[in-house]
Amino acid sequence: MTHTPAPGLGFLTVLSDGGSHLGGYLITNPWGRPLEFRLSSAVQPNKVQQILYGPTLGVYLSADLIGKTLVEKASTTVSLIITDSRDVLEVRRVLEIPVVWVAPTAHPEASRLAAEGFAVRDAGPTRGPVLVHPEYPDDVPACADMFQRIGSLDLMEPFVRVREAIAEARKMGVTQRAAG
Amino acid sequence: MDASSLDIAVAAPSVFGTRFDSPLTVGVREARLLNDSPWARTLGSLVPTVRVEGWKFPTPVGDAPSVPATPPGGAQIPDVPTTFLQKLAARKARPMPSPDNVVFKDRLLYLLQPPLENLFVGKQVSVPFPPYPYQLEGMAFLMPRRSALLADEMGLGKTMQTILSTRLLMQSGMLRRVLLVCPKPLVFNWCRELKCWAPDMPIEIIAGNTASRRAAWTVSNAPFKIVNYEVLTRDYDLINDEAVRFDLVILDEAQRIKNRDSKTAQSACALRRDRSWALTGTPIENKPEDLINLFAFVDDGRVPAETPTKQLSSLTADCILRRTKDDVLSDLPAKTVTDAHLEMTAAQREAYEMAEQDGVVHLKELGDTVSVQHVFELVMRLKQICNFDPKTGESCKLERLMIDVAEAAESGRKALIFSQWVEPLERLAAELSEFGPMQYHGRIPQRERTGILDRFRDDKSKHVLLMSYGTGSVGLNLQFANYVFLFDRWWNPAIEDQAINRAHRIGQKEPVFVTRFITQDTIENRIAEILDRKRQLFDELISQNGPPPRLGLSEEEIFGLFSIPHRQRKAAA
Repeated sequence: MTHTPAPGLGFLTVLSDGGSHLGGYLITNPWGRPLEFRLSSAVQPNKVQQILYGPTLGVYLSADLIGKTLVEKASTTVSLIITDSRDVLEVRRVLEIPVVWVAPTAHPEASRLAAEGFAVRDAGPTRGPVLVHPEYPDDVPACADMFQRIGSLDLMEPFVRVREAIAEARKMGVTQRAAG
Repeated sequence: MDASSLDIAVAAPSVFGTRFDSPLTVGVREARLLNDSPWARTLGSLVPTVRVEGWKFPTPVGDAPSVPATPPGGAQIPDVPTTFLQKLAARKARPMPSPDNVVFKDRLLYLLQPPLENLFVGKQVSVPFPPYPYQLEGMAFLMPRRSALLADEMGLGKTMQTILSTRLLMQSGMLRRVLLVCPKPLVFNWCRELKCWAPDMPIEIIAGNTASRRAAWTVSNAPFKIVNYEVLTRDYDLINDEAVRFDLVILDEAQRIKNRDSKTAQSACALRRDRSWALTGTPIENKPEDLINLFAFVDDGRVPAETPTKQLSSLTADCILRRTKDDVLSDLPAKTVTDAHLEMTAAQREAYEMAEQDGVVHLKELGDTVSVQHVFELVMRLKQICNFDPKTGESCKLERLMIDVAEAAESGRKALIFSQWVEPLERLAAELSEFGPMQYHGRIPQRERTGILDRFRDDKSKHVLLMSYGTGSVGLNLQFANYVFLFDRWWNPAIEDQAINRAHRIGQKEPVFVTRFITQDTIENRIAEILDRKRQLFDELISQNGPPPRLGLSEEEIFGLFSIPHRQRKAAA
């Protein structure tokens, strides 16, 4: 019997704080052990940028700018990207890697997408459904297969680690270095 | 605006091209025109930019679940209910950066580690049964530390916590070369525990003649090496070789180095290493200087030799973790049974092998007249040698018992020690005199016995009660004792259970730790294996239907101990 290598997982999130946006990207093996971590500088759009990008600014910053850059700069390839942000899910448009969004509970759009068949995992007691991007329905079977292989990994837990790492980086001034 | 900003600004429409009716073209030229006017202020960059920084970590070893671990031979594995696993998963013990992790990448590596529960509950790391929450917290304490003193009370699993921490660090690529230093009687026990908790970790014992030891120190690539204190001290010159270097050195029963000027302490401190972990249930045996001297190994320089006692706590707090049974009461099962597999001393081994060879020859000479009584006599003689060497009085069990009883007494606990014979109990009474041993067996007049039990209960200086199975295993209430040592094993586990139940009975408010001593590669070992198989069968099949008719050894099994065919017994009968 051939052994299929278990997939590497990328946990991608973008935090917003006081108008600035900062991304963290943790790559783990299927058991959640860290392989690589990437951190973005804090991006604070100026007034002109806010006007120019209008309502698309959040998606642009989270997906096209921060998310895409973090994934592309990483040296470890992944089979699946997992995010806890709806805006970051849009990174699927610019990457050839399946992306899933672990939606919060009782999120109207998440409920609608789940009803339309974009859910890889149904909602649980403490989180909403796990969804693929609605423009990529073929990701559903591909992701379902990967989820089968990684078992019952808690998909939200690694984001706790990412946030703690970002907080530590801020404390030690690393985010300024990334910006510099 | 510089050229690079311009490039990115122009690239932006391609990203958004699919979302607007007409492509977005950013008027960079117009923006620059505004700058030319004296009343206009600069607009800044039209396109946000971002920079990233990254850190790669050592690749964890093995992507698939590791070799299934097996329970330690004969040990009773606690039944782990689902609710316990849920509770475990909810605790989320994680190795967090310690104060001695000063480099950001090091701190990051620990911050990004998954909760330990996930690894065990999800079976990514195979273990015979999941560690208790306080043990996970102990591992979360050890893993990030370069300098650590794990001072848990005896019986809480310092060995297991250390092995699993080492295993996880090795799997994460953070450790490659580990040395364990322990007392000689514990080497074999460590090997067994390692086989149980880290079956995928190759180990090597540093022993033998000088040439083999030199090769083991300097050439061997075994990731986990074990050496006893005596060999370490003897090899002081060898360990000064530049090639002898470890990522981690662990000292078990670290109170052995409490005398800073001893050769043992100097040898331990001379080991080149990145991390230093010390394990002991009694970090302060006699005086505060014991702790200062321990820190000469744990973190040399942290605690100066003349440090006043009142400053010790603040200087060492970051590096010490101590839990007592009271602290972890809610996590612990009511009773924990551990088998201590011991290697006999050289004198014991010589006497044993001679007695066994002679005995088997004698049994065979008896031919058809051999009876179960003959075999019993040989078994008894061999079991007595397993307790003490008849010539020298050496005893691997005594060596181990001294360590364990000292630790129990240090914590103010009381221990019951059982043997099937009175002679070893009297001998133990002499050897354990510093712990106020009392005796309760057939040679103690009946009228004195109640007074002995009362005094054992009430006198805080009395830590040990030496009992025979025959006299002490039934009808006594000794709930104030928390440790039970079975110095030798009874034929029938039901009798052992009765003995254990003197301490583990209604009224006992704390967990009870039972240690069964078994000498390796002896008749004790063979009997234990048979009894364990029977107990397992009983547990699996008929535990719902009351006790089995017979848990002890049948005549056939007794003959089988020496590979003597059962038919001979029939002939004798």
